[in-house]
Amino acid sequence: MNDLKVLGEFYFSQLSNKPIWDALGRRIGRLYDMAIRWDSVSPQVTGIRYAKEIPALIPIEWVVAWESDGLRLSAAFDPLLTCPLHEDETFIGKWLLDKQIIDLEGSRLVRVNDISLSWVSHDDHQFLVLVAVDIGARGLFRRLGVEFLLSRIENKFVGSQYIKPLESRTSSLQLTREKEQLRQLHPADIADIIEEMDYKQRANFLDALDSQQAIDALTEMELDTQVEMINQMDEDRASDILEEMPADEAADILGELSSAKSEELLRLMESDDAEDVRELMQYEEDTAGSLMTTEYVGLPFWLTAEQAIAELRRLAPEAETIYYLYVVDDQEILEGVLSLRELIIAPPETPLKALMHTKIVKLSPYDDHDKVTDIIHKYGLLAAPVVNDRDQVLGIITVDDVLELLMPDRPRVESHTTLIARRRQAKGGHSE
Amino acid sequence: MNLKERFALFLAVMGPGIVTAFADNDAGGIATYAAAGAKYGYSLIFTMLISTILLAIAQEISARTGAVTGRGLSDLIREHYGVKWTFFAMSVLLIANLGTTVSEFSGIATSFEIFGISKYISVPAMAALIWWLVIKTDYGKIEKILLLLCLTFFSYVISGIMVKPPWSEVLVHSITPSFSGTPAFLLMAIGVIGTTITPWGQFYVQSSVVDKGITAQDYRYTRWDVLIGTFFTGFIAFFIIVSTAATLFANKIPIETAKDVALALKPLAGQYASLLFGFGLLGASMLAAFVLPLSTAYAVCEAFGFEHGISKSNKEAPVFFGLYTVLIVLGAAIVLWPNLSLYHVMLTTQVVNGVLLPPILIFMVLIASKKSIMGEYANTKLFNTISWTFTFVLISLTLLLLVCTLFPEFSGSIFGFLGLS
Repeated sequence: MNDLKVLGEFYFSQLSNKPIWDALGRRIGRLYDMAIRWDSVSPQVTGIRYAKEIPALIPIEWVVAWESDGLRLSAAFDPLLTCPLHEDETFIGKWLLDKQIIDLEGSRLVRVNDISLSWVSHDDHQFLVLVAVDIGARGLFRRLGVEFLLSRIENKFVGSQYIKPLESRTSSLQLTREKEQLRQLHPADIADIIEEMDYKQRANFLDALDSQQAIDALTEMELDTQVEMINQMDEDRASDILEEMPADEAADILGELSSAKSEELLRLMESDDAEDVRELMQYEEDTAGSLMTTEYVGLPFWLTAEQAIAELRRLAPEAETIYYLYVVDDQEILEGVLSLRELIIAPPETPLKALMHTKIVKLSPYDDHDKVTDIIHKYGLLAAPVVNDRDQVLGIITVDDVLELLMPDRPRVESHTTLIARRRQAKGGHSE
Repeated sequence: MNLKERFALFLAVMGPGIVTAFADNDAGGIATYAAAGAKYGYSLIFTMLISTILLAIAQEISARTGAVTGRGLSDLIREHYGVKWTFFAMSVLLIANLGTTVSEFSGIATSFEIFGISKYISVPAMAALIWWLVIKTDYGKIEKILLLLCLTFFSYVISGIMVKPPWSEVLVHSITPSFSGTPAFLLMAIGVIGTTITPWGQFYVQSSVVDKGITAQDYRYTRWDVLIGTFFTGFIAFFIIVSTAATLFANKIPIETAKDVALALKPLAGQYASLLFGFGLLGASMLAAFVLPLSTAYAVCEAFGFEHGISKSNKEAPVFFGLYTVLIVLGAAIVLWPNLSLYHVMLTTQVVNGVLLPPILIFMVLIASKKSIMGEYANTKLFNTISWTFTFVLISLTLLLLVCTLFPEFSGSIFGFLGLS
């Protein structure tokens, strides 16, 4: 026999405080909390805590019936037979109920109002499985004992496979799985989630991300939050992250910190990265210089198309955009520009000098933001080079940077992944 | 760190305590202090001293909890005491804050009446303006303008000195408790405490500490911010009582409307007294009217896990915007009720605040003394004893008031028993 039978479905709120009766009909206590083990896909209840003062558990196997007037045990109760909480188990009431979790499917932070459990039998074994958490208003009303008021509203569940609790536990197996799940979130979504957390949760959460993800997420955040987070991190970690961020973002953040703090962080950064950032920091807030990034693709004019493509392969991972390629001489003086398309369709032996456009739209680092916006808009550019008075390239300004200028009060980033996820109602409600 | 760096750090974290302190001296506050001075002379100054200390303790606890946990009060109540207690706390907060919003709109109405504009025009217009400004613009800038307006209340300090009150008598009253057994006196005493320490003020100071990104490490600077703010609340309130006592109480002028309170500014501003008062009252009422509905909506949504934030759309966060709008509309509508004494509305809501404060205070002290939440920043034993004593004092005052109001015939015997009458 290999079929799964659902014997009953409960909410934690309905079970909580129910009396517990043993085989002799004695009242042993009440259901104070439940311990779960979460090492497989669906978390299972392993024991029941029957009094606030006693940390010991009644093993779940003893429970033979979940009735409206209480739980019944299969044997006579003896405190000596209870077991302690294992290292890989946690209490759901204490650890999950009323807490904030990440809904991985909807990519947002939500609060657990109730917990949905299923009592299933499989191969003559009976399990109590945590199926989903209830995050809707109906769950809230159920807790208050007035669920009937909202009986026409549907429950909002998040299936247990989509839950990432914020307080981490000890099971290492669980951690790897969580990291795997987090990897599927878009950095912009992670940024949104982090913005809603308190500073301790943020620190924990950043540790759970791999470093590239942490940097991507930080790059997506609003400046205020970035500054706050860098301020709250320890300095070594902060300088590591700043090194890896795009130089223009790092310069913006450091510009908001106190001068002592930013000096300290720059000192801890690797000298190349720090140098780039310092250069960008010298420009006033409202200038093109403050907007630009130094991570552009500059190619020497004597390369052939084929060599240029090879060079591009090397440079591309670091660059902010590769659709525009800037052709320079050995003094870094801007000679011309060509697009990625033009490079790819050109015969391999053509020198760049023959391919490039020499009539170039350029910006000075001291131009104001209005001028930058005007020029990028007027010529329909994806990026524009910023040069000094000797025509040496200092950096580029991309259309993204301009977009941020135009929408300074942009509401919290609503990326397409969130929108898609929101359209699908959280599935995995009970009896699945 | 040298002195200059420390000072720079202090300036960076400054704000939450001082803004809350000024918003505490709102329309209801002015009305209550003025009534206390006009009706009972200097005898209630002692209450002022107690309420200032109590305010310092309460604000310190909230700010510390905010800095250490990085979370709002409603969030903490939800996580540690569950849905039912949260529901209770949020109901208390909603009632208290709706009342206070009504009193802010009364303040707005009164100040416009001083300028000769009917409340039927000013209140709906200001309600719409506030609603619109908060949602569509940067609130930070508006806040600074309103704080500037609040500075006009320092005119009470000057006025209070100019009337040359009998300082020795004032001093004696400031340190000797005097107690009269009438419910009216008790009501006034609770009102004075209730207007100084408000449920919303506690929620607000904690969440603004969190919003500013202040952490446990910066907390020692925030403590100064809170203490300085508290000092100014008490300082201004003290002089309002002194100046009204010296002018209105001494000449037996009863206060019927809030406009009469302006009379206490006559020694300073002469015929412009009411104008000065009008501007100050407008600033204070607007400041609180901006902050209150919004912070209430934040607190409630945070506790129950509804989507919230001004940057969200109406569709994403219906509960948040619904609550915010209802508070403003209801607050303004109640003020527009015909034949309502605005002045009495202001006084009554302060008493309601005083009565509703203890449950919130209990949650605050409980959370702040938990080692599992606060770690090394948990309340010390001594501090806990002090805060519980004050909470207990407030609860007993509230109970006494209830008894006196419900069974007036008992009150005499109770006070007789306590040896107070």
